[in-house]
Amino acid sequence: MNLEKVLTAFAAALAMGLPALATAWAQSKIGAAGAGTLAEKPELSATIIVLVAIPETMVILGFVVASMILFGV
Amino acid sequence: MIVRMSKVEVAGPRELLEKVLSLLRDTGILEIEPTSIGFIKKMDRAYIDSYLPDKNSLSEKLFLEDFKERIDELLSYLPRIVIRGGYFQPQAIIDTINETLQKHLLICRGLYRKKEELQKELTELSRYNIFLDAVEPLLAGLKESSNLDFIGLTLKDPDAEDLLRRALTHLAGERYELMTSNAPDGTRAGLITVHKNMSDRIKRALSDKNIPEMKFPSTFGGLTFVEKIGFLKKRTTEISDELDMINMQLDSFSMKWGTIYQRVKEWIDERLSLFRATASVFVTRMCFFIYGWTASDDVMKLREQLNDNFKGKVVLDELDIEEEDLDRMPVILKNPAYFKPFELFTRILPLPRYTSYDPTPFIAIFFPVFFGMILGDAGYGLFIIMVSFIIFRKFRAKRNVADACRILMAASLYCIFFGILYGEFFGEFGHTLFGLEPVFIERRTAVIPMLYFAVSVGVVHVLIGSFLGFITAVHRKTGKEAVLKLMHILLIIAILSLVASLFGLFPALMTKPVILAILIITPVLLFTGGLLAPLEVIKSIGNIISYARIMAIGLTSVLLAYVANHLAGMTGDIIIGTVVAGLLHLLNIIIGIFSPTIHSLRLHYVEFFNKFIEAGGRKFEPFKKEKRI
Repeated sequence: MNLEKVLTAFAAALAMGLPALATAWAQSKIGAAGAGTLAEKPELSATIIVLVAIPETMVILGFVVASMILFGV
Repeated sequence: MIVRMSKVEVAGPRELLEKVLSLLRDTGILEIEPTSIGFIKKMDRAYIDSYLPDKNSLSEKLFLEDFKERIDELLSYLPRIVIRGGYFQPQAIIDTINETLQKHLLICRGLYRKKEELQKELTELSRYNIFLDAVEPLLAGLKESSNLDFIGLTLKDPDAEDLLRRALTHLAGERYELMTSNAPDGTRAGLITVHKNMSDRIKRALSDKNIPEMKFPSTFGGLTFVEKIGFLKKRTTEISDELDMINMQLDSFSMKWGTIYQRVKEWIDERLSLFRATASVFVTRMCFFIYGWTASDDVMKLREQLNDNFKGKVVLDELDIEEEDLDRMPVILKNPAYFKPFELFTRILPLPRYTSYDPTPFIAIFFPVFFGMILGDAGYGLFIIMVSFIIFRKFRAKRNVADACRILMAASLYCIFFGILYGEFFGEFGHTLFGLEPVFIERRTAVIPMLYFAVSVGVVHVLIGSFLGFITAVHRKTGKEAVLKLMHILLIIAILSLVASLFGLFPALMTKPVILAILIITPVLLFTGGLLAPLEVIKSIGNIISYARIMAIGLTSVLLAYVANHLAGMTGDIIIGTVVAGLLHLLNIIIGIFSPTIHSLRLHYVEFFNKFIEAGGRKFEPFKKEKRI
């Protein structure tokens, strides 16, 4: 019973953690490119903020899956 | 909203062309179409040609272009000071102004060049000023003698002073003096005093060791070191005085003539804009035709103006809009007062096509709702309303700041509304303080119901977007695309119903009919959209799940508020507790302004707008007078 709980928690952590790492990696690339773009075209700042937010879908999906694992949906 | 446009033709006798163009420019509500495609019928093309200017017009145009170039040159020499606008008509005195311009150009060019030379000399002297200012105090104790020579130098590295002193001792024994002082630019200015016999030897040695001696310009020749300092100061003052005098002359010239030349330039610009516009005019032997676009609401106004001014000799006709015109019709966006501030978010998007939708009303309706759903705290909402109102009052003149404040105020109202639904007032502080209970859902504990709620919002939003895409396709009369979009919507509904029935949210009996529907819709989808069409459906399902962020970001906000209140309680001291809670809530509010904004925008830009908004619109650019600077 305890091992099952541990494995469930571990699976939820993986479902949340791996997309979080992927999101961080993607955001670092987009952020670096965005900073370069801003130096030349500051008027694109709003677009770049949105572009940086796009990879967060991965971590949101990870969160949904983790919630489903933890709450047994 | 995208303003309804009309395709118009203005026709009249050729001799009135210039006056008509002038009136059109003054009204500034017609965009002249330079091409005749879609305006002149095939059978009429043999009789209608592009307008070609006669010899007189051409020579006037060349004269005005040359005149404008010379006025631009003259104005470039003048200081940028605010001068009052002129309202006289320069046409009658243009020849006199032409002669005066030649004379004024010579005077101002001379003054400007002299000013440039003096500024260059002043910049050069300022280099020596730094050095001489630093060594001047060192000279106070020295007596000038005909046997002594002074060598000035700049030491960039402070450690070099010891090396230099050793080298000088080696060369001149004790018969020298080295004095140093810090210069304002961070270097160290040095002054070596030696007997004239030793001077050349030391200068050579310094040159060998790459320590540059301070060389003065040739105009300083024959002066002693002390005299050089005096000369430098005198010359700097002279140049400054001369520069003041030139600036005064240019200022006074600008005050006297600037208005006149500025007005002449404006008049020339107006004349040249008429010449440029004639390139887009079409003519027969007797008549002219001007084709273009104007807002439908302005057609009557323009027609009346033409009637009033030309007594019915010039007519305006509204032409039928053909299907091929839709792609090149210019776009004007006009929104009511409540929607207008939200243009702040849509300005960064490319302009939609005429047949598409203005994204502003959609973002104005849904953005505050999503913001409220994510932040959902009545206390935070009240706080943000107050802060944005104060900022709005203070920076009302700055358009972007005022718009952002208006948006925040609207979004905060929804934040208060959802805060009451979720039973949140600074987290659960509302419950402790005045027994506030959740009306709809308690977000902190009901994670899965909140997830269903967020995804349901996504379903509605994405389906609205897809349905608007279907309507656009119907308007564009692209039948196959319309069927594809409809099948797309039906398949999404079918898949979601299937998932819901499998999860027990819908009755299990629905499963079989839904599977059957999917099996029927999929071949139609493949037929209308090709092999990649099902991928679009999967993308849309991904888009819907993406709305889970409404719950996820909201949950972080709730938990942070919960932590703030509990940490405050754990301190056991009312003052420390208030400070701790206040700081954490403030942090939560700051995050709570940025995060919901960015994510709500993203849901619109990425998930919603790409379902129905077609970018690639052309901005309406009417023929009008340039704005006065």
